[in-house]
Order: sequence, then C-alpha cells, then structure tokens
Amino acid sequence: MLDVGRHPDIDLMAYSEVEKVEGESGAFKATIRRKARYVEEDRCTGCGACKEKCPTVLPDAFNMGLGTRKAIYSWFAQGIPSTHTIDPAHCRQLNGKKCGICQKVCQANAVNFDQKDRIVELDVGAIVVASGYKVFDPSQIPEYQYRQIPNVITAIEFERLLSASGPTAGHLHRPSDLLVEAEMEALEKDVKKSEKALDKFEQKYGQASAAFYDAYQKGAYEGDEDRGKWAEKYVAHLALVEPLDALKREAEGFDVAKRLAFVQCVGSRDFRFYPFCSGYCCMHSIKEAIIANEHERETTSVIFGMDIRAVGKGFEEYKIRGGNQSGITYVRGRVAEITEGPQRNPVVTYEDTRERKVISRDFDLVILATACAPSEGVERLAEILGIERNRFGFFKTGTSQSLDTTRPGIFACGCAHGPMDIPESVAQASGAAARAAQIVTAASMRKAS
Amino acid sequence: MSKDVLVIGGGIAGIQASLDLAEMGIHVYLVESLPSIGGKMAQLDKTFPTNDCAI
Repeated sequence: MLDVGRHPDIDLMAYSEVEKVEGESGAFKATIRRKARYVEEDRCTGCGACKEKCPTVLPDAFNMGLGTRKAIYSWFAQGIPSTHTIDPAHCRQLNGKKCGICQKVCQANAVNFDQKDRIVELDVGAIVVASGYKVFDPSQIPEYQYRQIPNVITAIEFERLLSASGPTAGHLHRPSDLLVEAEMEALEKDVKKSEKALDKFEQKYGQASAAFYDAYQKGAYEGDEDRGKWAEKYVAHLALVEPLDALKREAEGFDVAKRLAFVQCVGSRDFRFYPFCSGYCCMHSIKEAIIANEHERETTSVIFGMDIRAVGKGFEEYKIRGGNQSGITYVRGRVAEITEGPQRNPVVTYEDTRERKVISRDFDLVILATACAPSEGVERLAEILGIERNRFGFFKTGTSQSLDTTRPGIFACGCAHGPMDIPESVAQASGAAARAAQIVTAASMRKAS
Repeated sequence: MSKDVLVIGGGIAGIQASLDLAEMGIHVYLVESLPSIGGKMAQLDKTFPTNDCAI
C-alpha cells in the first residue's frame, strides 16, 4: 500500500468514484468524482487530534460495526492516504448544528467545511476493473439466525476480533459480552452523573444520601421541597445502580471464546443463493481456527463442511497441520440450524454424515464462512463502463481471454469477475496489467512512428 | 491516443495491477471509493497458508 502512495507514476485518487467513461480502447475519456472529504489532503498529517475531540460516535464500518469511530475518521490506522475524512451524514457542523471542534484542534489547518466535490477528466488508453466483492449477507438464511444470536458472526467479523488492531485488540471476546460491556459503560456514565447530583445535596445538608433517605421515608422531612428532590434523585440513582451491579456480576463470568464452530458454504453451493463454490472459504476458516489457537492454546475448533476444498500450493498440508497441531476437527455435514442455549451459547444442529447421526452441540462462538457476492454498486459500474455481467452479477469475462471484459480495452481481475483467493487475485492483476500495457504501449509506439 | 491506464478499485488486485503498470513505466490513475486503499485484504489479520500479516 505504501508503495502505491509513494510511486511517482501512480496518481492515487481515494474517496473518488468513476462517473462516466466515453471513447474506445486506446482513447477513453473517464470522468471521476473526487468526493469532498472536508479535509485538505495536502495539509492533513493524519495525526488524529481531530477524531479524539469529535463528539459524534458511530459504528466503525472497517471493524464491521464491532468497534466505534468518530464523524471525522481515518478508514483504518495504517490506511493510505492517511488523510482523515468527515462523514457528511453524521457531522454536527455539516448538518447545521454548532460544533467545528475538529477545525479548532487541527494544527495543520486542514479541516475545510466548504470543500466541494471535484470533477476530474482523465484521458486513458485502457481500464483495469478491480472493484472486488461483497461479503454475502447471511441474515438471508433464517435457520442460522445471524443478527438474532449475537454469538453467530461472519468470517470477516471474526477476522476483526482476531486482529491486534481490531476492536478487542486481538482477544476473542464474545459479541454478547461486548454488548453487556457497552451497556455497563453507558450505565456507569449515568451513575457518575447522578452521583455528582447527590454529592451536591450531601454537601449542602452534611448527610449521606442513604441515611437521609431512611429518615425521609420515616416522614422526617415532610413538606421540605428541596429534600423531596434529593429523595427523588436518590431513588433514580438506585434504579441505575441495581441493574449495573447485576451486569457486573454477569460480567465476572465472562471468558474469551475457546470452543469455536465454523459453518462452511454459507450462501455458496446453495441453490437458494449462489450455486458456485466461493473457493477461498475452506482455507479461510482453517486459517482463522489456526490463528485463534495461536492466541489461546486451549482453543478448539470444529469445521462443518460438505468437503474441505484445499486446492492450492501448500493448502492441503496447511489443512492437515491445522488438524494435528491446532485443535481443529473436520466434520462432514451441513449445519441445519443454529439456536441459542444457556449462557448465550449458540447451539449447532447438524448431521454427521460419517457417523450417520443428527447431533446438537453448543459452542462459545459460531463463525459463518460467507459466500463471495458481487460488490455494492456493480450494476451502476457495469452501466458506466458499458460492460456486461454474468448470471451471478459479476463482470463477464471471456473464456479464452479470461481477463477481457465484453468491451475492448477494459480488463477485469480479482473478485470483480468471480470469487478467488489472494494469490489468484494477485496473479490475475499482473495479467490484467500486462493486457492493459499491450494497448497503451502499442498505442504509444504507433504515435512515435 | 493515451498512454495512461485507469485502475478502478484499490484492493489487493487493483494495487498489484497499479504497481505492475507503474513499474513498466506506465502512468496509472488508481481510483478507490473508500477513504483509503487496502480493500478487504486490509481487514484480514493474517493470510493463508503462510500466516503472513495482511498489511
């Protein structure tokens, strides 16, 4: 990523979208909308002082909503460019409220609330489409109860939990525990506020709230309006403290997730959704199980799949190593249903096709190996580029020239034209680069002659 | 006729294509809709089968 930001021959246009493409192979004219960040790219140093002071807290999309970010944010800590961006839908200042704190704290004077979208026109000889994919939304599968059961998550959400730079700093805290902790935090804030209010009364009357309330209940201060308010505040305070104590007791039993279940083919190899095999999910689950075991040696994982497709350099060995050294058990069978048992543990019901038994088992955490789906906005991009899509919605590419789209001069690589893993995406990207280079270098040679 | 190339998408495929083209001496415009490049791969902790860091 850093190399891209530094390379003199790469003009990086992040936070930008292609709006129009005209012309033909060798001579395209592309219109790009550079969306307003409300932060000057050449001034922002990425120090992050602005986001520390920003009062608006939002779910962090990079962390799949498991953590929070502010209305002024960097997409992720090591992102290139490191320029911060203001979320125009949630920024107080941009929505007519009084704020502007980020502008005040920015020492580089980079925040500019008057920034507008800019339209840029580019002359290019060829186009490479590498627009990627979208994670299949498993809430479409009712029997897995994703979103209903907090401890059923997707592979990419699990990835954020595993990451040292993620919302839990790499500790496998369960989402249900995180919810309780967030609730506790909110309650603690309220308790602090109400303690402050009580403190004022306590100092004024030189008495502890509990002792006062005892006397008050016995009718000691009848008709005293101010003390009446004190009593009211004390009752409200108790109503906060009791649920907080209950949550604290619950939180004492919390532990990191150690018994994991991976459910394969969620949305793929499923005729209701995508009949194809997404290809990378088997290996992805094995990798996640191995890393989880590296974090905590007692962690055990069960991978439920019709078969494990470990096709690639070193993949089969990796799978076997996972089974031998990382506590992975492979179960042949498709998961029929996930329900919630005691302690918010998800219960997986499946048929073990080797044992010929229907079994229900509870786990700490269930991870869904979701399918590779066409990315958001793929229809519009296909229209803009004037290229066709295949029956699943990915960009259509040729059978003999597998990186050529239906329009000459436009090439596709990576998951933009079908599911594939990282090594294949990288190999294809080099192929697409070569195909694009053929056009522009041939064009330049003709020009020179 | 133009000698430049437009790459749409700044994930691992777009990054690799851009770097390859730039190394060939071709000028590249890399367009990404999100605030930073990196794509899905940047969200991954480690990658298989070597358990290398994704970033």
